[in-house]
Amino acid sequence: MQEGQDWVYSDVVKDHFLHPRNYLMGDESKFPYDAMGIVGNPICGDQMKMFIQVKDNKIVDLRWKTYGCASAIASTSALSEIAKGKTLEDALKISAKDIDDYLGNLPKHKFHCSILGHDALKAAIEEYKSKNK
Amino acid sequence: MTYLDYAATVPVLPEVIEAMRKAETEFFANASALHTPGHLAMNQIEHTRELLAKLIGAEPEEIIFTSGASESNNTVIRTFEGHEIETSPLEHHSIIEAARILGGKKKPKLYSYMLTNNEIGEILDVESVVKKTKTDKFVDWPAMFNQKTEWGKLIVTDQRGAYVHSDLTQALGKIPLDVKKLGLDYATFSAHKIGGPIGVGALYVKKGVPFSPLIIGGNQENKRRGGTYNTVGIVGFGAALEKVIKDKSWEKYDKEVRVLRDTLAKRILKEIPGSSINTDLTPGKSLPNILNASFKAAEGESIQLYLDAEGIIVSTGSACAAGDIKPSHVLMAKTGDAEVAHSSIRFSFGLENTMEDVERVMKVLPGVIKRLQSISTISM
Repeated sequence: MQEGQDWVYSDVVKDHFLHPRNYLMGDESKFPYDAMGIVGNPICGDQMKMFIQVKDNKIVDLRWKTYGCASAIASTSALSEIAKGKTLEDALKISAKDIDDYLGNLPKHKFHCSILGHDALKAAIEEYKSKNK
Repeated sequence: MTYLDYAATVPVLPEVIEAMRKAETEFFANASALHTPGHLAMNQIEHTRELLAKLIGAEPEEIIFTSGASESNNTVIRTFEGHEIETSPLEHHSIIEAARILGGKKKPKLYSYMLTNNEIGEILDVESVVKKTKTDKFVDWPAMFNQKTEWGKLIVTDQRGAYVHSDLTQALGKIPLDVKKLGLDYATFSAHKIGGPIGVGALYVKKGVPFSPLIIGGNQENKRRGGTYNTVGIVGFGAALEKVIKDKSWEKYDKEVRVLRDTLAKRILKEIPGSSINTDLTPGKSLPNILNASFKAAEGESIQLYLDAEGIIVSTGSACAAGDIKPSHVLMAKTGDAEVAHSSIRFSFGLENTMEDVERVMKVLPGVIKRLQSISTISM
């Protein structure tokens, strides 16, 4: 018999799901953010919010909230690590594939529904830009 | 490990493993063969047939062995290909999908209503469905009624305007069953929901009702299901049935398992903010071993996998877990609320569970829900 890995997701996904980074616990006002972006819908099973702090055109810190499955939580957590410290222009370039590569690839059927965070991040950056024209 | 996914499958019973191991060496022959080893294998198959017949109040010749509940369900729907088929919204996909693809307008009509649902445990009013069929108009001599044996005798002797199938997969062993009293024409069963092996099922077909085989090309099961007999699997099914009959397992579910289920339900409602129960706990309204609950702002797959990481095994009606884009059709039919469906968890108990398992769940679950709720985009 084959000795397979015991979890449905990769070790990196498991780690980010069980130990998510940069999440915003409880009340949103706890994190003084400059802009916020939201994507998804609980009716579809996944929703993400990104809160960013910007200084000198860079994302100096960020937090997120997610209602969603394990890969949604893990992919948002991974995105927060990827995006931290990036310039707004570089952060806008982060794609679903970048997140998927970072996580060591999600199961195919999970790719489209659970990697949404970068769109929430884009929305947050757009909001920041329109506020600071 | 705290295993609470018995409705998905029951771990194979030790006595089943023992019986199957013995069958592997002693009853290896092709059961259709007339020689002695073949005949000995057939005796074992007939033993299982008699046990199932006895348990459900049928005649042994009314039982056909299949590869499982999906095949049994498909077989009935295929028999009514092109005919009007009415199903409950809570049916298994092997009924709903098959009926959608194969259903039509011809009479007589087929009703397919499961007796007990697997996700929320609801007991459906099959009796009323059977009564309803009496009002379905009888149609003279549709093609289905013209079938004759090689000697020119009519095959369908019980000719009516409608027939009733019930999927009894989850009900077997958990509540008393009598297919004749229920007034069923067809009924589906599966071995692995009672501690038997996966890959063995059965179909009850009342004498004289319409039937066409799904697997054609063999004389097995009186030409009703082709394919070499799965003797070892059927022996395992028999060993599981023996235990059900000997232990009167339905009484244990009613007395012992119900207490566990109800205790967990009470504690969830009391101790976890945002929780709701999707199963009607009133005796007679649901199987005593299934509890379906939803947790506001927490998604089902995440709950399931956080519990899994703590060694607690449950299932969810969330779309994500099933690799689907839609959440459970059962929860959608019952609640009409996708958020409730996405946030649902099914705890299904077995005879091996104890109050310690309930304690263990309640030690871990409140923390898991609180954590997910606190990082959720949905506010409480």
